[in-house]
Amino acid sequence: MSTTTQSYSRPIPILAIVLVALAVHGPLLLMQLPAGSFDANFHMFFASHYAHHWFNPWNEKWFGGFSQTTYPPLTHQWIALLSTVAGLKMGYMLVQLIAVLLLPVGVFRFARIWVDDRAASYAALGSVFLGALAFLVYQAGQLATVSSAALYLNALPYFYEWMTEARARSLIKGVAISLAAAAAHHVTLIFGVVLFAGPVLWVAYLDARDERVSGSVGGVLSRAAVFAVLVGAGVGLVLLPYWLAIIQHPIHQIPIPHDSRANFLLNSTTAINYFVIPYGALILALPFILIRGASSRRLRPLLMGFWVTMIFGLGGTTPVPKWLLGRAYEILTFERFTFWATLLAMPIVGILAIQLLDRFRSKAAVALSLAAVGTVGAALWWLTANPYRSTGMAATNVDPVVAFLNRDGHDAYRYITLGFGSELAKVSTYTSAGSVDGDYNSARLLPEMTHYGSAQLTNAKFYGSAGMASLRAMLQHANRYGLKYIFVHDTYYEPLLTFVGWRKIETFGTGEITAWSKDDVPPAHKIESDAVPAPWQGLLWGILPIGVSFLAIFLELLLPEQRRVPTAAGIPVRAEPSEQHYVA
Amino acid sequence: MRRPLLICAVLCLAACSIAGVAQDLRVPASVTAGEEATIPTTGSGKATFYLVGPGVSRKNDVSLGEEIHLQGQDLRNAGDYLALVCSDTCHTGTFYVIAAKPSSLTFLVHPSRVPVGQGDAISGVAFPFDQFKNLVLAPATVTFQLAVGDKPLFSRPVRAQNGVAWFRTASGKSAGLVQVIASLDDVTAKRAVQQVASEPCNLRITGQRIPIGVLVQTEPVHDCAGNVVPDGTIVTFSATEANGKSTVDAPIKQGIARAQMEASGTTVVSAASGVVMGNELRIGGKP
Amino acid sequence: MKFTLPIILVVATAALMVLALFGAGQAHGTVGIAAGSAVYTPKASTPEQALKNLLVDVQRRNWDRAMTAVSKTSDTNKQMFIQDWTGTNGSLRSFSSLEGFESRPLHITNDEAQMRVRLHWTTPVGPLEDVRDFRLVREGDVWKTVLPKVQLPSVPSQVIPVTYLRWDLVSGGAADEWGSKNVDAPHVRIISMNAVDSAEGAVVMGEVVNEDTVPAFVNVNATLVDGAGSAIDDETSFDKIDHVLLPKQVSPYRIDFPNINLKNVKNVRMDVKATLVPASADPVIGVMNQKIESDVQGKSVLHGDLLNQSGQTVNISHVVVSFYDNNAKVVWVADGYEDHALLPQSSAPFAVEIPKSVASKVQNFHVVVNQYSLGRS
Repeated sequence: MSTTTQSYSRPIPILAIVLVALAVHGPLLLMQLPAGSFDANFHMFFASHYAHHWFNPWNEKWFGGFSQTTYPPLTHQWIALLSTVAGLKMGYMLVQLIAVLLLPVGVFRFARIWVDDRAASYAALGSVFLGALAFLVYQAGQLATVSSAALYLNALPYFYEWMTEARARSLIKGVAISLAAAAAHHVTLIFGVVLFAGPVLWVAYLDARDERVSGSVGGVLSRAAVFAVLVGAGVGLVLLPYWLAIIQHPIHQIPIPHDSRANFLLNSTTAINYFVIPYGALILALPFILIRGASSRRLRPLLMGFWVTMIFGLGGTTPVPKWLLGRAYEILTFERFTFWATLLAMPIVGILAIQLLDRFRSKAAVALSLAAVGTVGAALWWLTANPYRSTGMAATNVDPVVAFLNRDGHDAYRYITLGFGSELAKVSTYTSAGSVDGDYNSARLLPEMTHYGSAQLTNAKFYGSAGMASLRAMLQHANRYGLKYIFVHDTYYEPLLTFVGWRKIETFGTGEITAWSKDDVPPAHKIESDAVPAPWQGLLWGILPIGVSFLAIFLELLLPEQRRVPTAAGIPVRAEPSEQHYVA
Repeated sequence: MRRPLLICAVLCLAACSIAGVAQDLRVPASVTAGEEATIPTTGSGKATFYLVGPGVSRKNDVSLGEEIHLQGQDLRNAGDYLALVCSDTCHTGTFYVIAAKPSSLTFLVHPSRVPVGQGDAISGVAFPFDQFKNLVLAPATVTFQLAVGDKPLFSRPVRAQNGVAWFRTASGKSAGLVQVIASLDDVTAKRAVQQVASEPCNLRITGQRIPIGVLVQTEPVHDCAGNVVPDGTIVTFSATEANGKSTVDAPIKQGIARAQMEASGTTVVSAASGVVMGNELRIGGKP
Repeated sequence: MKFTLPIILVVATAALMVLALFGAGQAHGTVGIAAGSAVYTPKASTPEQALKNLLVDVQRRNWDRAMTAVSKTSDTNKQMFIQDWTGTNGSLRSFSSLEGFESRPLHITNDEAQMRVRLHWTTPVGPLEDVRDFRLVREGDVWKTVLPKVQLPSVPSQVIPVTYLRWDLVSGGAADEWGSKNVDAPHVRIISMNAVDSAEGAVVMGEVVNEDTVPAFVNVNATLVDGAGSAIDDETSFDKIDHVLLPKQVSPYRIDFPNINLKNVKNVRMDVKATLVPASADPVIGVMNQKIESDVQGKSVLHGDLLNQSGQTVNISHVVVSFYDNNAKVVWVADGYEDHALLPQSSAPFAVEIPKSVASKVQNFHVVVNQYSLGRS
């Protein structure tokens, strides 16, 4: 047997996979490619607030004041910590890099629940090149989703071990990492319970029933309940200010249209953006995923988890999400489901990889490599090719706007931007002035923002009449909110400003941004709100989420995983006898 | 840096007062801002001298029995000063620094534009300041003058009281720039008030039929004092005929406002500027 | 199970997609679709479907396909068709998007149909509605829309002499002595005020005049006060006013207080803020042939023509009208935006609706025209 063949038949060391992830994503992150993503500035804005006011989550820079307890803080707090030595932007990149490096580790450990080490290692390697990952990191900027998913995937094997082997250290570590995942992104945890933990519980039940593991069926179910209770109570406590905020102010705003809720069959660009690019070469693997997943009883829970998640990821292409989620359907965006679906598919894709390698060897290696690189490459190419992704504002320097607001007492008034897209958050991060707008839909409480079914005022025109009605309502109450300055990066808005009483007062750069003012606006005053968190909530918010992440790290270091007995290469650890012919 | 010194001096003073050892220091009764002064001391040995005044605090070591020399730059701000010399015991004295002679006038005139022929329409207030920006409270006479070009219109001396002198007068009859001057000794401040035409008076229009309608224009528009109403002033022309009404807000250009309006039948044209109405004009229909 | 489950999943997925395609579980508020399914039906077997196809393609700016829904007997071409729907010369229409439409038949026979369509436009100044009638004919087994000839404005080459009249503003620097370069704000006065209840709430309206000799940038604010002296609400004139008033110019203003009834109001505090601004006396826009008439729906409408008497293009014009009763009291203020640009020396029609409740009282009216010109705001 040649050396090449031997190398294909062994699991890839996890360290090597992490290094591949570092090699692929490290340079892109060091180049700060995600800085232009949709949500990157939003995350940096939140982090900037924590950097200055760690224990005070009330942020007056958006919406005339809003509570940051409406968004789980872990990733932002880590950026805030790292920003003290690396700066805000590099802090963001480092946290994103950590999440990206944790992801293949999580996929590897998660996949080992279903397949052998060799297939799991290929699943982990494949996850580095996922189009959905590149989409979320470089286009959407969904730092929290990626981080939480990575943490959650790392927690699930402990959940399985605890259920099947009743190991206390698995319980402790599993709960701690789950809490950290919730502190990074609660939505991931909530849906993860059904979409990720559900299949794990199901397979643990099957393993106990078929006596492939030491635990009994009753033991598995009771330990699952214990785990669930502990995580539930922990999440309740760690994110207590979040729950209090959401109970006090449930999201009642008029639904805001989002492309991920569209029917992909009716819009080819949306289909490419939310299906073709995230799945990439995995589309070719779908038949195998279905057939292989259905042919093994142990893989069926995973297949069902994948299918349900994929259906959710299709947004409005099927009616299922709306039926099952009800009102929450109008609040959620669905690209994250596609990401989760690809993660759930990876163990089966790992099996496909080793089958191809065993059968076609070098040719398969080349083909798989090309598919992987092609998938991530297409996602990166789509960053510039996507017709819905305007790069106009990204190329515009907003520093003069920041400088204007920070001089001559202009920060005594509030401002909005028009046509700035996600650069609004960048302006907000670096100015001391407050805005009545903001790039975070769930925190909006001002009636001018919530009654019309549009999101950010800065993007008002993209929401049609609803957006412009919202903008008009806000301009109508400019005096009430001390809204004196408007920065315009799109001449579309100039007629409205002219007719409703604003005057152009300054032009920045080569004229791409203009400043408009209304003379009779009084200085902004504090807007009274019942959403201001109590000081004890600020204390809790500043200690517990970051605390559980430290706890998870310390537990991983102090209670290292006992080294498992290495299995012969190619022999599945937990596979049924009937499926052994699928691996070498 | 000065705040700790001030606190220190006040604490020393308080301590001395409580101990009942504070004695008077022989300080000058008053000093003019920016001038030097001396404070004699008695006894021998070293002591610490504190000077605390408006925007000023100073601490330095002195030898008792010698005069303490106060620099002019320490006494630039008018107001009460506290001098304190402490060795075994503390001696205090207070003195007042008065403003030096006026070197500038801050002069506010209101309004910057005023229609002609209005009573008590122009007012001005002057504040004399010395070279250190201290308000000069000493009585002084400020002369207010109004002039058009070199021709004086009005002159009135006013005695400043507590550092303030003011006047009020009617606007003149002619539109144009009026110089308002306040002077005190050799110090002068000039401001300008624009006297503008008042409401249009006797607004009259003429008109004629032209192929595309009617052409109407005002006669030169003046106020009741004969001043030309400034260009840019809007005259609203309305032409009413059986088929409807046409209106044009036309600005006065070179003294005359002019408008073309579509009208084919017998047309009644009127004009208004602000709340002032002009005459009505009837123009016959197209032949 | 190896193949059964995959087949079940694939079939279920396909079935769900078909369900979604035909309306089940559709998201509300999809921008650009007024009603019904957005699915394009290539063969329009009814006049409604033909017109819908055309308008859906107009919405999506799919001009080539839209032209296939137009009858060859139409007196138009693709270029004129596009300009008709997308506007020209930086007009309001050129900033607008067709957001939705509702159509209803006026008259249908086997071969010909008349349809009336209410078009909902989204524009920078707010939503606008437009009503158009379309004629459709059957060509074989397909219905097509017959479009009339579009009259695109054109202006002959000419030289228009202009005596420029402009006010520029020179501000003092921070280093200037206090009071040395103070310039007073323009003197502006509210000359009439009337408060009424309307279907939407309380309305405060009237007229304001610039009494000064310099241009003024004006905002009128009103605060409603209750019997206890507490403020109930405060609002501004927003776009129901001409903000830049030249010397002696009069503008109507209207301030809306939604959902407030005047019976709870004891007092109205008026506040007019004026600022000195640079301004130009041009362009002059005449308002010609003003006349109140009833439209086909029986509504009272003030019609007229806006005539641009200057040599520069006015991209968007805004008409604000005060309506008076027989005592010369302002009983209503209404406004409207003109969606066609006013080319030099050319005119365009405008119409402003008068509410039924005041139509009978109206004896006279005064129209002012506010304007936006690209690059000169």
